[in-house]
Amino acid sequence: MKNIFLRTTGLMIVGLIVLNLFVMIYGIVLSDEINNFEQKTDKLHKINLTLEKEVANLSSLKFAQEQAKEFDFTNSSAPQYIDQLKYAYR
Amino acid sequence: MKIKFIFLLFIAFYLTIIIRLFFLQVIYSPANKSPYLKTNKLYPVRGRIYDQKNQALVLNQNSYQLYVEPKKVEDKDKLLHLLSENLEMEETSISAKLDMSKYWVAIAGGLTQEQKDKFDKLNLKGIGFDYQTKRFYPEASLSAHILGFLGKESQGEDVGYLGLEGFYDRDLRGLPGFLETERDVIGRPILIGVQQRVEAEDGRDLILTIDKNVQEISKKRLLEGLDKYKAKKGCIITANPKTMAILSLVCLPDYDLEKYYLFNENFYKNLAISDLYEPGSVFKPLIMAAALEEKKIKPNDTYNETGQVAVGEYNIKTWNDKYEGKISMTRILEKSSNVGMVYIGEKLGNRKIYNYFEKFGFGQNTGIDLEGEASGYLKPQKNWYPIDYTTVTFGQGIAITPIQMIRAFASIINGGYLMKPYLVQKIVSENKVVEIKPKVERKIFSQTTSDIIKKMLISTIENAEAKWDRPKGYIIGGKTGTAQVPIKGHYDVSKTIASFIGFAPADNPRFLTFVVLYEPKSSPWGSETAAPLFFDVAKDLIVYYGILLSQ
Repeated sequence: MKNIFLRTTGLMIVGLIVLNLFVMIYGIVLSDEINNFEQKTDKLHKINLTLEKEVANLSSLKFAQEQAKEFDFTNSSAPQYIDQLKYAYR
Repeated sequence: MKIKFIFLLFIAFYLTIIIRLFFLQVIYSPANKSPYLKTNKLYPVRGRIYDQKNQALVLNQNSYQLYVEPKKVEDKDKLLHLLSENLEMEETSISAKLDMSKYWVAIAGGLTQEQKDKFDKLNLKGIGFDYQTKRFYPEASLSAHILGFLGKESQGEDVGYLGLEGFYDRDLRGLPGFLETERDVIGRPILIGVQQRVEAEDGRDLILTIDKNVQEISKKRLLEGLDKYKAKKGCIITANPKTMAILSLVCLPDYDLEKYYLFNENFYKNLAISDLYEPGSVFKPLIMAAALEEKKIKPNDTYNETGQVAVGEYNIKTWNDKYEGKISMTRILEKSSNVGMVYIGEKLGNRKIYNYFEKFGFGQNTGIDLEGEASGYLKPQKNWYPIDYTTVTFGQGIAITPIQMIRAFASIINGGYLMKPYLVQKIVSENKVVEIKPKVERKIFSQTTSDIIKKMLISTIENAEAKWDRPKGYIIGGKTGTAQVPIKGHYDVSKTIASFIGFAPADNPRFLTFVVLYEPKSSPWGSETAAPLFFDVAKDLIVYYGILLSQ
């Protein structure tokens, strides 16, 4: 009876130690993951803002004007529908 | 015996640890907090601002504050040199900031990601970066006065100033959250410790009624106009006359939103909403509409314009001192006859004139959703002299803002509804969209009066004394104005405020545009400055909106 009690207690202690170790290691792994995800989220947030800025720049009038200048799309090549309606019906 | 001894030793050992922990965590620890416990404020992302087509006008971008920890600096001279070179700041000004007795010194804010990466490559000891966000304007200063800017309040927190940033600051700023977390030495969360996170609520985005293309057209034309007519300053406001949704609002000179702090605060003033001026002849249609509404006159009634009119000790005359004899009410507007307007004012009566000013909301804020609006001043009726009732009929002796003028004018052409002007049509939060509908303040005129005055205003353009380069095939209504500038109790004859207000297409107005030029030098007259500028804008808008020919 005494032996059974001692063995059970021993097994329980060993089991608890193993479980404790498992919880501790699992906790460290989870902490690492949380830390990782936090860093990734921060990075994604920053990338998101940068991309948003790039998209806005590409659809801006400022960019369109620069492009117009680069491709020589000047006033002389703009259609004048209001003053010279004949162009509108061509 | 040995086992009992070891057992007691263990008990004593654990008791010592428990007591020590109790002292550390309960007795000595301030606010019972673990030394590993960190509390961070989670900053919300400030709301963005878009135009009516969801094109960005204000966004956020990554930014860094560079700081130095003087105690960790190895070579101060080298550090100063590199900081100066990369920040484009004088070494002396950095040196003045860098107090070596301190532990932490902020050197420069608003650094871009590229600048930070450059510093990271230099691998300098003793410098670090704090992450921040700052406002980014894809269209630069296209809408400076509308947007306002983001500055700092006395506690160092971000706060919006003027324009939309000021008016909608509470919506844009959001709510901060916090993170209370126990971390180990390398920053990993300790899962059995305290972990509490209340997420920040990001600011709400604003969707405007502004169309950035109309804004661009207006700004470009205004810039050309100021240059061509050598005017000191000016504004162009375009609105939908049915709703008073503002489509564009540009005043020049304006300022650089990115570097607002380099400008004198006079540049921040949005003339369209905060500058009081005497409107001059653009005001005449308002009095005409009131007289029509009260059935005191009919469009074909005649007035015998024989010469100057004496009111007390003053003589009222037409702008060119020429008189045509019998003229219709419509002709009074066409030739912008001051004496004709005095006649209409007399028919309408003093009490009614004042009543209509109250109905138009003069002397009160229009309620436009921009910070910095001036209400104007409508003096109590008991303080009005007879000459005041005379001069207001042609827009002198009353001080209003351009936004009050365009709103009142919209009411005479939109069926008689005085609308509240607005710039934000939607407020978008994470899970809710609030739509802002046009708001009718009151109905002032009947549809009949509105239709009559519209016809009179079309005729005013068709038969005006000045001949303009108008878009052919389109019916446009409008009125010129040339106001004198009051200085110390009299009018300065050398200075005028030239204006033009017009709408197109006249049968079903798509836009109402108000042009004001302050002190033009090429000509003092609205008909020779503001009017041609209006028609340039109108031509561009007709093409932009694809408005079909009226005739």
